[in-house]
Amino acid sequence: MERVSKFFRSTVAGPLVALLVVVGLVTLATDRFFMMANLSNVSLQVAPVAIVAIGATLVILTGGIDLSPGSTVALVCCTLAILVKKMGLPLPVGIFLVLLLGVACGAVNGFLSTYGRIPSFIVTLATMSIFRGLAFLITGGTPIFSVSDALEPIFYGKFLGIPLPFYYVVVFYALASLFLRNTIQGRAIYAVGGNESAARLTGLAVNRSKMVAFLIAGLTAGIAGVLTTAWLNSGSPNYGAELGLQSIAAAVIGGASLVGGYGSMVATLIGALTVAVVQNGLNLLTVPASWQEITLGIVIIAAVGLDMWKGTFGRSLARIFRQS
Amino acid sequence: MSELSVAPAQDQDPPPKAPIWEVRGIFKVFPGVQALDDVSMTVFAGEVHALLGENGSGKSTLAKCIAGVHQPEQGEILYKGEIQKFRHPMDARSAGVATIYQEFSLVPSLTVAENIYLGRYPRTPAGTIDWKIVRQGTQQVLAQLALEIDPDVPVGTLSVAEQQLVEIAKAISLESSLLIMDEPTAALGLLETQHLMGLIRRLTTQDKAIIYISHRLDEVFKIADRVTILKDGKWVRTAPISKLKMGDVVRSMIGFDIEQHYPKQDNTRPETCLRVENMSTESGVHDVSFTLHVGEVFGLGGMLGSGRSEIARAIYGLDRLTSGIVTFDGQKTGFRSPKEAVAAGVGMLPENRKTDGCFFNFEGPKNITISRLKDVLQGPFLSLSKEHKYGLAYLQRMNIPHTALDRSVQYLSGGNQQKVIVARWLFSKARLLIMDEPTQGIDIGAKLEVYNVINELTAAGISIILISSDFPELLAMSDRVAVVRDGRILEITSGAQLSEYQLIGMASGVGKSEDGERTSAED
Repeated sequence: MERVSKFFRSTVAGPLVALLVVVGLVTLATDRFFMMANLSNVSLQVAPVAIVAIGATLVILTGGIDLSPGSTVALVCCTLAILVKKMGLPLPVGIFLVLLLGVACGAVNGFLSTYGRIPSFIVTLATMSIFRGLAFLITGGTPIFSVSDALEPIFYGKFLGIPLPFYYVVVFYALASLFLRNTIQGRAIYAVGGNESAARLTGLAVNRSKMVAFLIAGLTAGIAGVLTTAWLNSGSPNYGAELGLQSIAAAVIGGASLVGGYGSMVATLIGALTVAVVQNGLNLLTVPASWQEITLGIVIIAAVGLDMWKGTFGRSLARIFRQS
Repeated sequence: MSELSVAPAQDQDPPPKAPIWEVRGIFKVFPGVQALDDVSMTVFAGEVHALLGENGSGKSTLAKCIAGVHQPEQGEILYKGEIQKFRHPMDARSAGVATIYQEFSLVPSLTVAENIYLGRYPRTPAGTIDWKIVRQGTQQVLAQLALEIDPDVPVGTLSVAEQQLVEIAKAISLESSLLIMDEPTAALGLLETQHLMGLIRRLTTQDKAIIYISHRLDEVFKIADRVTILKDGKWVRTAPISKLKMGDVVRSMIGFDIEQHYPKQDNTRPETCLRVENMSTESGVHDVSFTLHVGEVFGLGGMLGSGRSEIARAIYGLDRLTSGIVTFDGQKTGFRSPKEAVAAGVGMLPENRKTDGCFFNFEGPKNITISRLKDVLQGPFLSLSKEHKYGLAYLQRMNIPHTALDRSVQYLSGGNQQKVIVARWLFSKARLLIMDEPTQGIDIGAKLEVYNVINELTAAGISIILISSDFPELLAMSDRVAVVRDGRILEITSGAQLSEYQLIGMASGVGKSEDGERTSAED
């Protein structure tokens, strides 16, 4: 009983309830949601957003924001396509190089927003434009199709009947959660976001912590870029456009505070699943794309709103009960 | 130093007419604190009424009730005998209350003139802002204050003292019958203070009532007609200043003798902990030298802006040294960052524990272990169970409620938050602790606990640099006190040998020799 009450006081409770409500609504609306084929579809859809959301959460935890991962994904997709198809590099080498590219993109964001003292919102707003512009530049604006036959198994492969992206998500989230909860650097990220001045006075390396968050954000965007290339077996400068905002949405629906210091990997995963289930449900119902975007926006406001207002609701309820 | 208790300008008792402003039986409760407990006071037109008391005695809270910032649970505020209801500071302002707060209410990016007329810009017939009136009015009020400040420069570019004067000018420019000044001279130099005193005199001849809050008793004795003393949220006494001596006031404020109030232990050992030689910084520290012994409490006494905090910041690696040598534990240091200082065994209790000390996103244990996370490692990873165990041990040791084990420290009282930060440095095994205003804003009981903690720390061989605006506390709890003014140490003496008046006198630069200057400023 104590466990149960502790769970409901925990920060994950709200987002989890929101996810269950969304799942419930989708199940009521269509009987195809819980079919195996659809669930495996969801796990494919959720993978890129969920993985990018790892980095988004870390940056948000430090009190910053990263708007650029969608553009990083596009740049990574196009670069991988060029390296493998046009330059004939072996696929593993290409993947390694574009992951480095992702980290480099994160390094640019991190360096400018910490040592360069430009707010991260501005820096990543600019690099969001720059990285996508570079993707257009190197491809000349034309998508590169059929990059490599070896790519597809990375995304469409299965292990024990379950799609590989499911395992990627599980493994990356386990690693990220271990890093965040159980390493000195992870704790420092929370401290910097919670109270930057106190963190500095306590002797923590504030800039390094922010830098680490951006580097990991670059890496996760790189991984999502490789997955996207494998998914479509192509590279296009238009890829990933929705990933930046969706990853922030995942973190925020999970209860991360944009002020910094509050949030967790489990919560963000729940947020990412919520985003994916909403999209999947609307797809099953063949709702047009325009309404999907509108619905996602409403879900974000509802999820965060419920979290913000629950204190007010609770207090008003308590007052009403006291008076009666 | 009895010369400081100069007779007031007007010697007669206040006029026997009805008070223009009055508060009756005010009660105000904050979570965990009875901030005001049945407080009443009256203010007459043309009177300077000083409101005195220790930190946390409720004087600022009372001022904020009158200014409509706080709404008292009980009690009445009356203007010319009529009950006023202030739900919002704007209500109080339109009823004629102007307030100068300790915290600035200026917008740094706006100009002086824009700030002074903020929220009440005069309009031209066309409905646009009449900048001519804004400029003229600003120049008028600046001239009234004898201030040479350009009305067109952004407030953010002014010095702290100038900003304080603009704040005062803004309040004066309002049509008001009551002016509340909360520590108006805290950021002012001697010359600006004298300007202000002259101005207050002029305002009283215009029949304005003034409530004057200040820690500087010498000022109060110079300017006030009557005094009301609060202690722990309760009214203690109200009297014409001509019937009071400074000693009476101090005794009423503190309530008992300092010796009983402060459980000071002398734990100084002969070994040296820290040696500072000829230290100067860009932040305004000039040629400061002193030696701190193991287990000693070394007080830095001075007014706000005297450079006392800058000395501490320089030692802690926050400000770069331009010259001088700092030796800690026999090692030449000159820390370039707090990181280096912490690693070497120095800790800091910052002045503002909310913005610079506590991590409100962490529970108690995480707030404590953050100073030395490597001690919580099990292999390459943090052991949360080990952290919990340490956390519990330190909460017990510091007598902090166990609710802090799994709840954010934001739910702790100010005193307990302070103790969490002390526990943090105990955990990091710091051997030198810089305490900047460790008892600011916490109640008497919690203060006593902090004093006992200081004794416990020094008994364990930890040295302490103590900064406090609470001079009686500073003198009683320090083994030696350095008087700081303009970034220099004027004198180092044992705390017991210095009286509060001497310290105030030296720290504010109002020595005996300047008496003549002071009387002339009163004319």
